[in-house]
This record gives sequence, C-alpha cells and structure tokens, in this order.
Amino acid sequence: MNDAEAPGRPTPDAEPAAVPSRAGESREVAARRWVADHGDILWKFALARARSKEVAEEIVQETVLAAMQGFGTFAGASSERTWLLGIAAHKIADHFRRLRRAKSPGAPEISPDATCACAACRAMFSEKGMWACVAKRWPDLKLSETERADQAQALRACIDALPPGQSEAVWLRDILGIPAVEVCKAMGLTDTNLWSRMHRARVALRSCLDTKFGLSKEKGK
Amino acid sequence: MIRFVRDMLRVLGMPCREHVVLFSRQLDAPLSRGETFGLRVHIVYCGGCRRFREHLRHMQSLGQTLAQQAETEPGLPADVRERLNARVAQAAKRN
Repeated sequence: MNDAEAPGRPTPDAEPAAVPSRAGESREVAARRWVADHGDILWKFALARARSKEVAEEIVQETVLAAMQGFGTFAGASSERTWLLGIAAHKIADHFRRLRRAKSPGAPEISPDATCACAACRAMFSEKGMWACVAKRWPDLKLSETERADQAQALRACIDALPPGQSEAVWLRDILGIPAVEVCKAMGLTDTNLWSRMHRARVALRSCLDTKFGLSKEKGK
Repeated sequence: MIRFVRDMLRVLGMPCREHVVLFSRQLDAPLSRGETFGLRVHIVYCGGCRRFREHLRHMQSLGQTLAQQAETEPGLPADVRERLNARVAQAAKRN
C-alpha cells in the first residue's frame, strides 16, 4: 500500500496554508506560529508515546526550543510540520533511552530482532531462508468496533515496547502516515536505513501482536 | 520488458526471508513492476508469505484506527500552550 492508497488517514502534511512568507519573521514569531499551527499534533504525538502529560509538555517544550535554535537550518527540505515532528521524535527517543538506562536491564522491550513467537521454533526462517512456521490467521477486523479498538490498543502497547527510535519511526510512518521520504528527512535517515528500521519494527510488532492475540502456530508451510 | 522479466525471476528465486523484506519495503517505496508481479505470483503458492502480508495489512489497518483515535483526542491544553509561549518569549529574550 502506498501513501496514495490510504484515504482514511489524517494528513499531517496538509498544512494550514500559513507558511507563505517566513522571510523576515523573527524566531519568536516563528515559534509562536509553530505552537499555534503544530502544537496540537506535537502534543498528541508526545502524549501518545510518553503517556504522561508532564513528560509530553517537557517534550513539546524541548522540541520548540530546539527548533528555535535551529531556526536558520530549516531549509524547507521537508514540510515544517514534519521537521518539527522529527525533532520531537528525537526528543521522545532520548527520553526513553534515558528511562531505559535508569531502569533495570530487564525492562520489557521487544528485541529489535524479535522473530517468530512460536514456542516450537526459535526463528522465523530456516537456515535456507524458508518459513520455519506459519503464523495463524488473526481475529477478523470486521468483528466489531470494540474489538477493533482493543486490537488497536494492543498494537499501541506493542509499539511502546519497541526500542527507542523504532517506535517513533513507526508512529510517524505507519500511524501518522507521513510519507517515507519526509520521515527520512525529519529523522536524518537514508531511505535504506528507514526501510530496514521499519522492517525490523514491523516484524517485531507482528510477533508481539501474535502473542497478544493468543493464537498458536502450526509448523511447516 | 527485459527488466520486468529479470526482476520477476530474481524475486521468484529469492528465499522467503527476502520476500518479507520486500513486502515491508512496498509500504514505504514502490517496487518495480517485475518485483511486484514476482511477489504476487509467489504468494499464490507460499502460505507463509501470504500470511505475513495479511498480517502487515492488518497492522496497517490497526494503525489507521489508532490515527483516528488520536484525531479525536484533545489537542494542546490551554495552560500548556500558555506556558509554552511564555518559555518561547523567555528564550527569545535570552538570545
């Protein structure tokens, strides 16, 4: 599915056409405009990841202040909103890295190389690269709104358990639906970096959801 | 045409470990027509890859549900906005 095929998504890039003349705008005026135009999405992003209003406020504040410092560096390579979201993503990842260092090493986290959750097989693939086991079907999405909302929350919990840096990339790319090119620019990644980060994250998420949905696996193809 | 056939044959000759990488990449960047067709043919006979793609689509759909949920959540609270603007003014003065 590419971006054009996701009509249901909100479009974070659809900016209020307020960007026209930034020339001559002071840093303070620009920062106030960022708060007015992009404050909501930055807040939602930070709150969704941090799940604490205090931490979210800190992150949004750090983001705006960092953006003020880098005011001259924004060259319009990505949309202003994506640029700010990229700074926020780094701040959020830093927050979780600090938290992780402070916590005991046994803190719950999906391994970046999480493979098949199947008890019968230790890896997703055989040595030859073929499937070691085939996961079963997940509960149908068409069941009910509640069921769907529950599944979405399960996904959210799995995203939270990803390593810092991966969670933010997934949030920007797969939840907010920001085009891959923009996410690369915002997070300072090459496209191959992003592809492999997204792939590792999606495999880990799939494995995590598979255990949450509680379905067993069958061996073989 | 030559490129199409070459890409398709390359994909069909890959192990599934590499197919899943392409399924994921397809969500971020367009594959060539040959690669896309190769994957389409492959999943006709590969249950593991078919299930993987199904799960990816399921997760994408749940992602949209999460995005819709986030849309309805309240934005930046007024008090936070006020503190933020005060902090911005303070930082502007300092520099």
